[in-house]
Parts: sequence; structure tokens; C-alpha cells
Amino acid sequence: MNTIRFERPAPGQATAVRFPDVARQTLENGLTLWAVEHASVPVFTATVLLPHGTGEDPSSRHGLASLTGDLIDEGAGDRDALHLSEAFAQMGTQIEVEVGPDACSISVTALSRFLGPALQLMSDVVMRPRLAEPDFARVRDLRLSRLRQLSRLAGTMADRMFVSEIFGDHPYGHGALGTTRTLETITVDETREFWRRAYGPSGATLLVVGDVQSDEATRMAIDAFGDWADTGSSVAAGAPADVMADSRIVLVDKPGAPQSELRIGHLGPPRLTPMYHALVALNAVLGGQFTSRINRRLREEKGVTYGARTTFDFRRVAGTYSCETSVQADATATAVADVLEEFETIRRDPVSADELASAQAALTRGYVRNFETAGQLARAAAQLAIYGLDDRTFDRFVPRIESIDAEDVRAAATMHVRPDAATVIVVGDAAACSQGLEKLGRPVVMGDPEF
Amino acid sequence: MKVPFTKQTLANGLDVIVHEDHRVPLVAVSVWYHVGSKNERPGLTGLAHLFEHLMFEGSEHQPNGYFGPLQEAGASLNGSTSTDRTNYWELVPSDARRLALWMEADRMGWLLPALSQARLETQRGVVLNERRQSYENRPYGLAAFAVMSALFPPAHPYHWPTIGEPADLEAATFDDVRAFFKRYYHPGNASLVIAGDVATDVALAEAEDLFGQIPAGEPVAPVRVDVVHNGMRRLVMEDRVELPRLYLAWRSPALFAPGDAELDLVGDLVANGRTSRLYKRLIHDRRIAAELAAGQTSRELGGTFQIIASAAPGHTLDELEQAIHDEIARFADRGPSDQEVGRGRVQAEAAFVFRVQSLGGFGGKADQLNAYNVYCDSPDSFEVDLVRYLGASGRALGEAAGQWLQPQDAVTLGVVPLGQAASALSRAEVLERPA
Repeated sequence: MNTIRFERPAPGQATAVRFPDVARQTLENGLTLWAVEHASVPVFTATVLLPHGTGEDPSSRHGLASLTGDLIDEGAGDRDALHLSEAFAQMGTQIEVEVGPDACSISVTALSRFLGPALQLMSDVVMRPRLAEPDFARVRDLRLSRLRQLSRLAGTMADRMFVSEIFGDHPYGHGALGTTRTLETITVDETREFWRRAYGPSGATLLVVGDVQSDEATRMAIDAFGDWADTGSSVAAGAPADVMADSRIVLVDKPGAPQSELRIGHLGPPRLTPMYHALVALNAVLGGQFTSRINRRLREEKGVTYGARTTFDFRRVAGTYSCETSVQADATATAVADVLEEFETIRRDPVSADELASAQAALTRGYVRNFETAGQLARAAAQLAIYGLDDRTFDRFVPRIESIDAEDVRAAATMHVRPDAATVIVVGDAAACSQGLEKLGRPVVMGDPEF
Repeated sequence: MKVPFTKQTLANGLDVIVHEDHRVPLVAVSVWYHVGSKNERPGLTGLAHLFEHLMFEGSEHQPNGYFGPLQEAGASLNGSTSTDRTNYWELVPSDARRLALWMEADRMGWLLPALSQARLETQRGVVLNERRQSYENRPYGLAAFAVMSALFPPAHPYHWPTIGEPADLEAATFDDVRAFFKRYYHPGNASLVIAGDVATDVALAEAEDLFGQIPAGEPVAPVRVDVVHNGMRRLVMEDRVELPRLYLAWRSPALFAPGDAELDLVGDLVANGRTSRLYKRLIHDRRIAAELAAGQTSRELGGTFQIIASAAPGHTLDELEQAIHDEIARFADRGPSDQEVGRGRVQAEAAFVFRVQSLGGFGGKADQLNAYNVYCDSPDSFEVDLVRYLGASGRALGEAAGQWLQPQDAVTLGVVPLGQAASALSRAEVLERPA
């Protein structure tokens, strides 16, 4: 056996990414069509993207945007709820409606030969939903049950508590599904009114990505959506107040829980921040990947969790930065202290050249993996549309990340990682962990997320 | 449906399968070890899954962990463990192919020199926390364990959970762990797929170069089990949940055995998604259920078929149980409509096409080539597999439901809110919730 066998081969170079060309056309009704050819497997993804999301829920009607999203495919055009599902199923697919803070997306992924009929059915769902009273009552009851189920899930309890503490009264400060209280006040007429305001062609984008010719996709899209007319307009959410210096620990009691679910963080910048690439690099060092500082410490050194990660949740007008983990109950307080210490350290000490180079290498060399399938390209294109980013945004990622230095990371950390302003959410057995938490020097209050 | 490949078996027994696809500059590397929790024994469960952790911690020539060099090379990587097999994969930019292969070879041939008591202790802790996070601290999280324990007798290797019993994990010694590795982690019990932007001759030569000198191990004999039917059981378990939930489970055909694909289709037609019969009946029309899921889980030593439904507020598990058995009887009696058969076929066709979009990851092309190689001894089984679905007649679907899904053969489990065990499911024995 030769000794070369035991020398680890070098990694390669970063591959340049070039996002495929987008063929665009804006129709007279204001709808913008985007077609991206991706000749791989005979599959396409079509997405209608509306720039309206849960960030537009009125304060007494949390859940309205997503309830409307749930209802549009419960009967549309000539078909009732079950016949509509059957029509998609006869093409081997189903329709997916996702309602996020800034946008609503209605998507279908199917075999290429079904593009025409799938777009026709999608246009029924978007343009001609029935929004009928019996379907509304049924869907709302199912959602009330869903909320009860979620109210027992530690991760969802923590997420709800976190956004309501961080965003307060801002429209981002609630769970997408709403609460039992708000759902009991929302009426079917209000979903119709929301549909009239939000489901219009002006500002909307229809993406078709996959193994279909651009001109053919465009023709079929015009056929299906050409006579879509605007019926109203709505107002997007404004920016929330800046981060409050709130360093409380909010403890949500979950008796008997063998682990504590943690969320530690604060307000963060919006997607269009000029610091975007520095923040991505910073996050890769601190908690964005397996080898990041926080996961290494809590999982690989201490073994007290299955995993820990940090995320910038970038949204249109503001986001959050948070660490998310679930730790064994007897390690709750020490894990909170460890995370806050890592938040502090990365602000104080410059990252080493090796550590930064490693994070940059992971981000740049691995970037090409994000552009393999039609579904991945469709999601990427949707980001461009939602945030108004230009078509070469993804092409610039690799060189921009490579240009980040330790000073950029320190500056990003100083501004956007703020342990003193971080709220700590703990969903765990209060009897088992409150004593340890009291010793951390932060006020501890009891919390109860609303479902 | 065709996924072209070249297969060679090295002298030490390692199967090497190469599939070329140059559309994206990526290579998927996948290694399957034909070992899962079925190869464990009572009292020493959870070892196959524990190895899925230890295999990332380091090997003799890469002692400081696997994530560092692979992430730096732009890889995504992961592994998973089932009753039947463990798999490990990397998806890398094409010029990091050799690195990924080198890493897989090093842990196949040279893992134990880097395995220390300290590493074992840390990963034991991580696994116990994975168990808490994924099962113990989740509503209904222990139901799947209870169902499998009831379907399979204590001596059957599907009786215990893949993640292991906590007491066994605590008790496993350094020597137990080493012995398990020596027995199951060697070229003759493994299968390697290299898929993507690489020339076949280059990939085969590299595999020979990097894996060829790993010593062959002792052949692993297939696990044999006596087919003992446990018979019907009715169980109820309390948990910190809101809605009572019913689990109906049956023993069913093994992976690729007659009836396996048919029951997979039956699951979709009867209880999966909004076009299924039970969705219409339980959720849409009668509104007695709030959640519904179903499916055939195919395994080497025998499958399981399950229907899971949560009761809508004000309704009982007995109501759900009766309605589900009625619908299955109707399906078995008259079979599906032509429309249902057509829907099942086009859904199968679409699913097979969707699955070949990705090279790597769980369920990508590399993973599927390995699955067919390990379970059918032929990576070339895409078409054979698909034909099982496209060729299933309506009559065969009705017969499969009638043969396998009889009420008297079911394990019935209710999971109910605290304090409600006594009244929740008629004639059921109360199961202690494990600590």
C-alpha cells in the first residue's frame, strides 16, 4: 500500500454560478411572466407569486392571509373542492399554497406534458376561487384542530413566543395560522375581501421553470392568465421599531419535558441590507453550519443536544437573528449561557484567518448545489421577484463572499449580533430549569404563547 | 425508465456502481452498509444508528471529524439508519469527488483506530438527545414504537426501535461497539455509488485505488425470522396531546414481495391525500377526523401497513375505527373505480420521474441505485419497479386489501390525552407510557 493513499486529497475550486436567462414579458393587466428553461428531466414548476403575506393581516384578524390561501383551492371555477383535487391528481400532482410573511405562492410541479392544463387549473384557483361558506366553515374547523395540535409542539411554542416577543404589535409578530381567538372572528366575507385586495395581476409574477420552451410557456401562461383583472390593492407592512434593549428570559412551562426548546435572538436586518454577504459569512462561522462554533460546542463537545444552529431570517422590511436548539433539561441554563457567550465573543474578537477561510470555502464551493433542479431554480427566481433583486444576484454571490475579510465580519457582528438585546425563549419544564435560569443575571418572566 | 450505469465488484467484495450525468458540475457519492437495527439483538439495541454518528467523528487518517474538510469542499453530507440498512452520502462539486471517496474509504477501512471512549460518550449523549427531541418530547412521539412492538414479537428484530432503547444505549461498552463495526462495516457488506459529472473509467479506477486495499470481511449471513403472527391487539396509551389519535396497523408484504406495490397503491387510494376515500368520508363529508395519513412501509423481513387518524373534537376513536374498517371492506369487495386506477398510475409515473431530478441526497439517483443494488442485487431495477405500479389491476388492488387488511388482524392503538385512557377505545388494554 502506498503512502499517498493516506494523504487527504485537496478540495477543488469554487465553481462559477450563472443563473439561467429569464425570459420576461409584462402583460397589459400588469402580470409579469418569467420563463426559465432547464432542460433536465421532463418536469416543470409553475408558481404564481403574490407580494402579499401574513405581514398584511389586520391586528384583530391574524391568520386571514393564510386562511384565504387554504380556501382558494377548496373549490374554484367549475369544480368543487374534491373535484379540483381530483383534476390535479389525474395529472399526478397537487397544488401547493404557501403563505409567508411577505408573499403568497401558489405552485404546481408536474410532468412537462401537463403544463397547459395545469396552468388552466391554477388560473381557476387564483382567479376564480369559490370561497364558499360551507368550505370556509370546514377549513376553519380543521385549522382550529391544527392549532390545538401545534400548541403541544415544543418547537412551534417557542417559535410563536419568539416572534411575538421580538416583533410585538408589528404584523410580523404572529404565527401565520392565527389564533383560536382571531379565527373565531374571521368571516367568509373577510376572506373574499382579502382575496379581492391581494389576488390581482399587478405586482404578481408567474414563474415557469423547467423542461419547457420559453415561448411555449409564455403562450400557455397568457392563455390561462391573460384576462386576469385587478380588483383592489393592499398596503404592505412598514418597518418595525428598532430592536429594544430587552434581555429577558421568557420561560414557557411544559411540565415533564425531557428537553428545553430554546430561541435566543433579536430583530435583524431586511434582505436588502448592504451587509448581506458579510452577514452570511458571519453566520457560517457562528452557527449556520455543522462545524460552526455553537453546534461544535453544544453538540460535539458537550453532547447536550442533537443540534444547534443560528439563522438570519431575512424578510422584506425587517428580519430576526436567532439561535435555535433543543437541549436536555439539566443543561438548559448552561446552554443559554454558552450561546450568549458565543454571541459576545464574535463581536469582541476578530475571527481567525483559517476559520473565515473555511466558512467562505463552504459557502462558495457549495453554492452550485443550489441550482440543480427545476424546483430549486423556481425558489431562487422567487427570491428575485419577492425582494426585487436583479438577475445576476446569484452570479455575484461567490465573488462577494470571497471578498469578505475579518473586519467586515467584525463590523457585521457589532451591528447585528447583540447579546445584550437578545430575548431568550425557553420552552421546558419550569420546575426543572427555572432555578438555573435565575442565576444568569437576566430577568426571568413566565410566558404563554397564544394558539 | 432507464438510469444507465456500470457496475463492478472489487476483489474485496465491494460493489461499485457508476452513473454518468454531466448536466450539473456535481458528483454524488453514496455508500450503503447492509446493516440496520434488524442486525442487533435485544439488550444491545441502537448500535447501527449509533454508528451513523460515530462514522462522522473521525478515522485514522482523518482523525478530526468528517464535516470540516467536506464542508470546506462545498459538500452537503448526511447519513441515515433504518431497520434494514445504513446509508452515508456526500454531494460535492465535481472536482471534490476524490476527496469524498477518500473520506468514505478511510472510515470503511480505518475507523476503529480513531474511535475513543470519549467520542463514544459524547455521541451516546447526542443520540439520547436525538431520541428526546424526535420522540420523547413530541406529541404521539412514542406511538410508532408501541405499534412496532405490538406487531412483531420480542424476538423479531423489528420489535425494537432503530434509535435504540435508552438503557441499551447507556449500557453499550466500547468493546460491544468495536465488535459491531468489525462484523458489519466492510467492503463485502457495502455498496458504493458514484453518480454525476465524472467519466466512468475515472470513477472506477479511483474506487479501486481508494477502496481496493481494504481487507474483505467475513460474509454477513442474512437475518432469518420465523413468521409468527402476533394476532390482534387493542392498546391505549396516554400522552400530553390534545386530540385522541387512532393507529391501525397490519403486517404486510415485504419489500418487492407480491402485494407490496399493490398495498402502496391501496394506501394512496384509501387514505392518502384529499382525493382518497377516507379523506372524503372522514374529513370532508362527516367531519369526524381532523388528520389522516396512511401507507405501506416496505421492509426486507416484512412490511407494515398503517392508517392514522385523529378524532375531530366531539368524536371518538371507536367511530373512526368503524368507519375505516367499513371503507376498507367496501374497497376490498368492489375494488377501485377506473378513475382511481388511472390516478394511481399517473401518480406513480410522476413520482418516479420526480425522483430522478436530483443526483444525491436522500432519495436521489445515487441513493436509489444503491437501494436497488442492495435489495434486488440489480441497480437496473427502476423500470421493473415502476411496472409493478403501472401493471397493477383494479382487481389486484381490491384483493390485496382483502387479503392483508382484515379487522381481526389489526393492531389497534389509541393515543389519548392524560386521564382518558379508560374511556377512549373500547376493549383496549392500557399501555404504560415508557419513561
